[in-house]
Amino acid sequence: MTLLEVTDLTVEYSSGGYKVRPLNDFTLHVDKRELTVLLGASGCGKSTLLSAIAGLLRPLSGSIRVGGAEVVGLGNRALTRYRQTSVGVVFQAFNLIPSLSARENIEIICRTAGQSRTAGRERAEHLLELMDLGDRMHHRPGSMSGGQQQRVAIARALALDPPVVLADEPTAHLDYIQVEGVLKTLRDLADADRAVIIATHDERLLPLADHIVELSPRVASAATVEENRSLKDGEVLFRQGDPGALVYTVESGLIQLVRQRDDGAEEVVSEIAAGAYFGELAPMFALPRSATARAVGPTVVTGLPVSQFRAHMRSANTV
Amino acid sequence: MGAVRLVFDAESRPGALGHPSSGAIGPIWLASIRDLQWRSRRFLLAVLATGVVFGLALMISGVANSFNVEVKNTVGALDARLWFVPTGSLGPFTVAAPFPARDVAAIRQVPGVTAANPILVSRALTGGAITTSVPAAVSTSSEQAVNLIGVVPGGVGSPRVVEGKPLGGRDSAVVDESLGVKVGQKIALNGARFTVNGLVNGVTYFAGQPVVFVTLQAADALTADGQALATAVLARGMPTRSTNGFTALTDAQVRADLGRPTAQAAQTIRLIEYLLWLVAAGIIGAIVYLSALERRGDFAVLKAVGTPSSHLFFGLVIQAVLIALGAAIVGILVEIPMSGTSQMAVRLAPSNYLAVPVVAVIIGVVASVPPARRAARVDPALAFGGGK
Repeated sequence: MTLLEVTDLTVEYSSGGYKVRPLNDFTLHVDKRELTVLLGASGCGKSTLLSAIAGLLRPLSGSIRVGGAEVVGLGNRALTRYRQTSVGVVFQAFNLIPSLSARENIEIICRTAGQSRTAGRERAEHLLELMDLGDRMHHRPGSMSGGQQQRVAIARALALDPPVVLADEPTAHLDYIQVEGVLKTLRDLADADRAVIIATHDERLLPLADHIVELSPRVASAATVEENRSLKDGEVLFRQGDPGALVYTVESGLIQLVRQRDDGAEEVVSEIAAGAYFGELAPMFALPRSATARAVGPTVVTGLPVSQFRAHMRSANTV
Repeated sequence: MGAVRLVFDAESRPGALGHPSSGAIGPIWLASIRDLQWRSRRFLLAVLATGVVFGLALMISGVANSFNVEVKNTVGALDARLWFVPTGSLGPFTVAAPFPARDVAAIRQVPGVTAANPILVSRALTGGAITTSVPAAVSTSSEQAVNLIGVVPGGVGSPRVVEGKPLGGRDSAVVDESLGVKVGQKIALNGARFTVNGLVNGVTYFAGQPVVFVTLQAADALTADGQALATAVLARGMPTRSTNGFTALTDAQVRADLGRPTAQAAQTIRLIEYLLWLVAAGIIGAIVYLSALERRGDFAVLKAVGTPSSHLFFGLVIQAVLIALGAAIVGILVEIPMSGTSQMAVRLAPSNYLAVPVVAVIIGVVASVPPARRAARVDPALAFGGGK
């Protein structure tokens, strides 16, 4: 049985006055005992996906089901319960509460969920022993190494024995010695009848994964060939949020770059006249298009892959 | 490191998507206490600063109280049922209209009056006390304005002493303890010397200025060039008719008269007291708000792992109330030495001290609402921000 099903998930939010859609019709299925790695550059939507699965943000559309139960559309109380019992989260930079000891960081989760003080304490001590941190129970995070803090964070994620564990960049703040222990622990978690989803741009995690999802896919070879396009007035060349493979040069006519504001209005970012180029950032940095390109009047453009575009620019400068 | 082997059984998981477990307030109490310990220096400073403000407010409250208490004490000390003043005079203390002391005879003849004696209310300067046990006269206190009341020894208005003997001969005086002199010492009033026969307690007016009782003749000599004048006649009994040229005032009317000069000052002092409570609330609010800003990341994480917003709200309320209660204790402790240095009378009843923690809790709760609301509204998605 599929433990986690994400279907046609679209998440949209406002950023700096513009609408941003980091996830568009995204689908993912994860089974028990499976470790899934979400790979991608910063800003590609990894943390957004984890936030949505953790019930921390409401998607625009789509479905998230855990153990067959729908998460999208839950009320606040049910969402709180879902966060307590169904998902455990290992945050980037550990995010332990600095004023609490290692044991208290875990105990507080158990007690918030209604466990008694004794039960919460015993659970915290048990988890810390499992994480080989029995001698660090009374230490505050500030007096522990990065690896130890990360293991406390993992123990906290397991406090209420959730079926799904989410980890956001779990190796970002660790040296290579600490990474080894944390990776082994995460792998073990998946083997213990859980689904573990790790968002990272650290490719060292790939050998651990049962399933790898690239959120900023590498440009397909088919899309990296030169193309010439004749556009009619108002025709869209590409839309904001689309993946980008080519850098375009306007041969004739005019291209308008527009960005959608969060109030629904469109804002003209710039107009590209004949002889000028645009759209170079998306293919260079594997980012989605940050604006929509639309023809104003009949327009002809040439699209070049980045390498050809660079060669073209060098020869143009030489001339 | 040992492998983590934890059994997952989705079906047996209690209420996977049911109602949230609100848990007890215990965990948020734990987090609040630990945070107070974690930022102990800052909170200690807040407690001390707020405590000093509480102490000032308490002292100011005592000063404002003293205006009422001293009026009540002074009027009560003269132990009269009626105060006869010349018609047109608002009262014996504020708009004194001297009249011949012999006019008391007309009042004594009013049916129902059982006793009546004239008094003269005035003011004098004391040059300080001179200790009789020391051969060479030594001044023990600086020049001080006092309220002078001339009375007939043994008559209506003659004060009951708490120490020493009642008013006697023309050079004797009964003084309030706040003047700081002892029975048997000599004091100078407008240059004339008097021996302190006895002491009264709490008989002051005009913001703590002590009352000195002397004989009516001595008061006339000091302030009326020896003319036999009076400013009021104190009477006992139940007069059945009015007296020409005089108006009879009750104790309540006399208290209103005596309180009139300090009424505006008392109002202003009350206003300052309320402002001080407000300042205290501001200090607590600012400290807790700062804490809420710094703990945004913590709150986001706690919400992300299922802590209800209400727990975060109450966590900050608890912190504010604890600071306020700590400050209340400091305030009560610092009020005592502060009041000791005050030149004005400070009168506080036990109920005033008991009210401080109650007011502190109210202030703490009110001050914590904005930061607590901010904490409760933190977006849990911030926990994924990668830092605090």
